[in-house]
Formats: sequence, C-alpha cells, structure tokens
Amino acid sequence: MFRNNYDNDSVTFSPQGRIFQVEYAQEAVKQGSVVVGLVSKTHVVLTAVKRNAEELSSYQKKIVGVDDHLGVALAGLASDARVLSNFMKQQSLASKLSYGRPIPVERVVNMIGDRAQSSTQHYGKRPYGVGLLVGGVDDLGPHLFEFSPSGLTQEMLACAIGARSQMARTYLERHLDKFADCSREELIKHGLLALKESLAQDKELTVDNTSLAVIGVGSKEGKRRVENFKMYDGQEVGPLLEANVETSGTGEGEGDAMETDS
Amino acid sequence: MTSIGTGYDLSNSVFSPDGRNFQVEYAVKAVESGGTCIGIRTKHGVVLACEKIISSKLLKPGCNKRISTVDRSAGIVTSGLLPDGRHLTSRGRDEASSWRQTYKAPIPLSSLASRLGGYVQAYTLYSSVRPFGVTAILGGWDSEAESGVDGQVGNGPAAGAGGKVDDPSVKRGGPALYMIEPSGLYWGYYGAATGKGRQAAKAELEKLDLNSPDCALSLKDAVLEAARIIYVAHEDSKDKEFELELTWISALDGPTKGRHEHVPKELLEEAEKHAKKSLEGDDEDEDDDEMEE
Amino acid sequence: MNHYPQAWGRPRNDVYGPYDHSYTHSAMPKTHTQSPAVTGTSVLGVKFKDGVVIAADNLASYGSLARFTDVKRIRTFAPNTVIGFGGDVSDMQYLDRLLQTLEINENYLSSSEHSLNARNLHTYLSKVMYKRRSDFNPLWNMMLIAGFDEDEKPFLASADLLGTTFSSPTLATGFGAHLAQPLLRRLMPNDEESVKDVTKEQAVDAVRACMKVLFYRDARSMDKYSIAVITKDGVDLKEDEKLENQSWAFADQIRGYGTQVN
Repeated sequence: MFRNNYDNDSVTFSPQGRIFQVEYAQEAVKQGSVVVGLVSKTHVVLTAVKRNAEELSSYQKKIVGVDDHLGVALAGLASDARVLSNFMKQQSLASKLSYGRPIPVERVVNMIGDRAQSSTQHYGKRPYGVGLLVGGVDDLGPHLFEFSPSGLTQEMLACAIGARSQMARTYLERHLDKFADCSREELIKHGLLALKESLAQDKELTVDNTSLAVIGVGSKEGKRRVENFKMYDGQEVGPLLEANVETSGTGEGEGDAMETDS
Repeated sequence: MTSIGTGYDLSNSVFSPDGRNFQVEYAVKAVESGGTCIGIRTKHGVVLACEKIISSKLLKPGCNKRISTVDRSAGIVTSGLLPDGRHLTSRGRDEASSWRQTYKAPIPLSSLASRLGGYVQAYTLYSSVRPFGVTAILGGWDSEAESGVDGQVGNGPAAGAGGKVDDPSVKRGGPALYMIEPSGLYWGYYGAATGKGRQAAKAELEKLDLNSPDCALSLKDAVLEAARIIYVAHEDSKDKEFELELTWISALDGPTKGRHEHVPKELLEEAEKHAKKSLEGDDEDEDDDEMEE
Repeated sequence: MNHYPQAWGRPRNDVYGPYDHSYTHSAMPKTHTQSPAVTGTSVLGVKFKDGVVIAADNLASYGSLARFTDVKRIRTFAPNTVIGFGGDVSDMQYLDRLLQTLEINENYLSSSEHSLNARNLHTYLSKVMYKRRSDFNPLWNMMLIAGFDEDEKPFLASADLLGTTFSSPTLATGFGAHLAQPLLRRLMPNDEESVKDVTKEQAVDAVRACMKVLFYRDARSMDKYSIAVITKDGVDLKEDEKLENQSWAFADQIRGYGTQVN
C-alpha cells in the first residue's frame, strides 16, 4: 500500500493499525548476528556468535553481565543495547542498596519494556534498534525473557534472535521438552548446538566468534545459592567448544565478511 | 479501503472534513486484531478473562500474565498492542498511588476510569504523540467497609460527635466494570468484550442477561461463563492455540476478600473443562440436528 | 488607604493595630524537628525456635497525658513481617503508609514468591531513617522489625531515629531497653545459640511478664496491649490483651502512699 506515507515516524498508525517504524526497528534486530538463550530448572545459558567489522578488528561483544544474577545477550544496534544494559545495571544496584536483595528479573525487564514503549509513542524519539535476551535468576528460579524494540517482553523457555535465527528456533522447539531437566553441561551443549544451526554454510564456531554465559541457582547447606553470572569468552570457550561441538580446527577464527554493526 | 484519508490520516489530532480523527480509527484497527478480552460484572464481584494466543512454542506457559492489578482491588486487561497496554496499566498504578497519597484511601473505580479515559484522550490531541493502540477493560470492587484512612492508628471515640455513621441505609462500595477505547471514550458495563472475537463474545454476554435485577449469576458461575465465552470467541482463531487467563475480585466476604487475584488453579481447570465440554455439547447438538434432517 | 503590595490582603493597621512582622525575621532555627508530639512507649521482641514474638501497649501519650488508648502500634506486612513502632505516632503513620505503598508495588509482580522479607524491609527502613536524620528532620521512632529472613530463619532487628540498627535475639525500645531487656535476656544465656532452645510458650510468657513490669514502672504505659506471634504459617495478632495477675501490693510500702507518711 502506501507504506512510505505512514512510515516516517513512530507516532503514525497505518490504515491497518500497524506502526511501521517499530517494524523497521525489528528488522535491525534481524540484521544482527544470532544469539540463543535457554533455561532449565536450575540454570540459564546465553550463547552468541560475534562478528568483527574487518579482519583485524576485534569482535563485537554480544553478552553483557548486568549483575551477579543477571545478564543480557544482544542482537542489533549495540549502542542501544549499551544504553539499556547500563540502565539495568543502575536499577540492579539501586535494588541491592535499598532492600539488600537482587532485583527480581521480571521487574527490571518490565522497566526496559516500558522505556522502549515510550520511544514508540512520542515524537522525536525513535524505537530502540536492538533485541535482547535477558537471562537471570531470582527467588522463583532461572528466567529467560525476550525483549523486542516494540517494548514487548515475554518470558520464554528458549529463544533465538538475529540473523538466520529461525534455524536455531527450530532446533530449540525440537528439543524443548528436554531443557527443564538438563544439567549445566547439557544445557550448554544445547545452547552451542542451537547456535551452530544458525551459522552460514561455510562458517564455524571458533574461540574468536563464540561467547557464552551461564547463571545458575542451587542449594548449599540448605541455603539458596546463586551461581554468579560467568562469561566464557576467547580461549575459555575452547574447551566447551571441543566438548560439545565438532569443529574441523581450533583457534583460528576467520572474520566474517564486512557487515555493519552486530 | 475507502477511508485512506487522503492526507488527513497522516497526523494525529487532525480532523478530516467529516470530523474524524483517522489515526484514532487506525488505532482501533490494531485493537481488532488482538486477542479477545472480556469482563463480567455481577452483584457479588467482577471477573476478567483474556485469550492469549500462543505465538511461539518457546513461550513459557503460565508466565506471561496479561491481566494486571492496579492498587489492590482493581484489575485491568488490554487488547491490542501489548506494550501500550503496559503503559496504560503503569499510568493507572500511578494514578492510584497519587490518589492514596492525597486522600489516604484507595481510588474508587469510577475515578480511576475517569483518569485513564482522560489520559488516553490526551494522546489524541497532539500530533507529537500517537493514540494508544489498546482497549482496556477495567474491573474492580469498591470496598463496602468503613475502611477509615491509611495508617489509621485507633478507632476514635465510641460515642459522641466525630464518630462513624453506622446507618445501614448508607450503602457504599460494590462492583464496577469499565471499558476504555483508544479515543478515550469509556462506559460502565455489566458485560464488556474487545479484541478479535468480540462479536461472538458480546452475543454470549447478552444471553446472560447481566443487567437484569433478577440476574442470579454467582461469582463462581461468572468465572465458568467467562471461560466458556472465551472458548466460544476463540472459534474465530481456531487454527491457533491459546492460553486462558482468568482473574476475579469479590466482595469483602467473598473468596478474594476484596482483592484482585488470579483465579486459583483448581477453579481455572474446572472452568476450562466446563468450557470445553459445553463447546463439544454444541457440536453434538449440531450433528444431531443434521442427522434429523 | 495603603495600596502598596506589602499591604495587599492585610487588615488595616488603623483598625486592627500595627502588623506584626516578627514572623518574617526569626533568627531562631526550626525546632519542631527536635521533639516528638504524640508518642508510643516501649516495644518488645523475642526470637524463639520457630519464629518471633513482638508486643507493644495500646497507648499514645501526649506528654504526660494518656491521650489515645486504642492505638495499634504493631503493624503487619504481608506475608509474615511485623513492625512495632515506638516514638512519635504521626511519624509511625508516615512510615506505615510508605510501607503500604511498597507492599502494593511488590504485589504488582506476577508472583507472590518475590515478596520482601523482614530483612529487606529492615534494610529499607534503616536507610530511610538515616537519610532523614542526615537531613536534620528525623522520623522520631524506634522500631522493631520481626519476621523471617531469606534463609527462613527467625529475624529480629531494630532501627531508630538516628539510623542506628541492632540485631539480637531479644530487643526492646524505649523504657523496655532498660527494664525488659535484662529479663528477656534470661531466656538467652548463649545469645543466638539459645534461640533454638526457646519454645513459643516460653517466649510469650517472658514477653507478657515484661509487659507487666513495664506497666508497674513506666509512667507512660497502659495495661492493654497487642501481641503478635510470627511463625512460618503467618502472623497471629491479638490486639486487645489485658495484663493479668497484677500485684500492686508493694504500693503500700512506697513512701507517700498508703498509711506510711515517712
């Protein structure tokens, strides 16, 4: 139809009741490289494929630790993700300072959802161009939330966003019933295998382009203990990749073709 | 599509030559494609129900709650663009909180509906914002008790001036149900429905005869009916799976003690079973009719 | 007729006498923050093996006047935290409203398992109290927070108008700190270690005995009181208890009372 008339700003509805600017922002998410998240009864795992702009440049960081019990994986405009994750860090700190307890995951996710929604309803602002997978643990156990530029946040059992993420989602749907009872290692294995599904034909998971994060909850001496956010990056990913993913060689990460952002 | 505005529909707050704000009408379109939501008001309480279409198998069941609480005894469910619904709920909570700070009492539902209606309408006045893409159903119970003031420490003198009015003819409190549209227009209802299956839902609600003074629907019956009506309304989107969410608010002497709560699991399961059975019953009747012919 | 701005809205000087400007140039600092108005007296708290007992009388005094005799100084916060307030009653009401707002907001989370426990409330209140003291406008209260902590163990702590906090198996505010604490401490010869040996009946009896002693000796107390017993199953709050078996027989030995003149 007349898409170009109704897509100039996010304060215009199309005749069908759609907001095109928000839908375009969701396209930015699809341009980013894939990230996968999944949750069991005790752990939540986030995995990501990193991209570099050129052969010699560093790889864009895709997973950010927000607090001991919270982490996010991003796909899309990394700078927008930085703004959101900084806000989450502040809110987590405030909760610890005021109440002495880590912020419930649902609360912090609702906060960023509301911020994102506000940028879709007021002129002069643009929607956030990033999708996030928020993984965290609290009194209810481990959680995984998907955040999208429209401000919609949903709790998931497993999720994948970014380029070619449909392949990962298919893998996750196929194995969905197994996740709840997975051990930490099995969950990591599924996370890496789902990630692998989304890679382009000639690409592989290497220590340079893969990153992984785990947060867990367990009990020690009857007390509920949080297994703090732990990120595996660079060489640390090596053993995990060898154990879980068959690779033809280790170590040499080949940069992807030049792509914008991550 | 005759109503492609021709220029009067590109900006909010603009009147077309026939006096319409097209952006608001387009916002209504967003509501029409959302999951069905209904509210039922009975003498004993209010029930809110929501059809949550499952867009992905990866969603965690039972977790993504759509019906939210405002203060303690009001619930709000929205149909349409869900982030806009959250924005409106947030505003409702702020209004309730600021009312409490000023008047040291919970906000009466009529005032809450008025505030939210005014807020939604304000977003139709300026081109720098867009209208809300949601219709909200607001339900609750205004307390019938002499609740005093927040933070009240004692009960005051037992006799003499400045005491309470214990006159039984003074009736306060009761159920309330309102529906607020993207234009800011709102009415009080006995039964309200919005979203994709609203036509089917409205037809079923009318059959219940809720506005008649002889209506003998108990709160539990209303819960069962609400579930059944959602199932009926879901027939319009039969190909997709959905999750039913039910909440209720009763009088102070009822099951929720005046608070807005999600229906307990046993009752939810009973309602779903009852709903599924009555749908099958309808199918069987149709088959019988056909066989007779 | 004086039309100048300083005379606007004011009664005429020739009719009502010269205007009293002394209120404008008070060299004195504000002193209303330095004393409470309507006050409650002691609050007592004792831990026992399955929970906590807390008690306070129902009196609000206006100086030496026993002004309000049905004041509930023990307030419950869902699901099983209780706060007893001593000190200024209007500040107690302010804190009560603050905590109610907090409770309503916590209720907005989708699950009640997230709720703030007694320790979180204590952290929050102690920060509020400290902030107000640093503003030279204290909330003139000393309160006991009783309930359970995040490990489901009985929790009892105090916070006062200076922002000072204590935690102990037995605590008391006001006069109770001088008169009741020694009696309550008899239950706990080994401090925290003794808590597991104290039964509910022992704790309740000790508290009732102390309330009697306080009525004997605290001139700003009353014989009607409220007592709350907190266990994992919830709060059992009785608000109209009367002191029993009072013995005023010693009164005739006090000089100035009874038959003795010297």
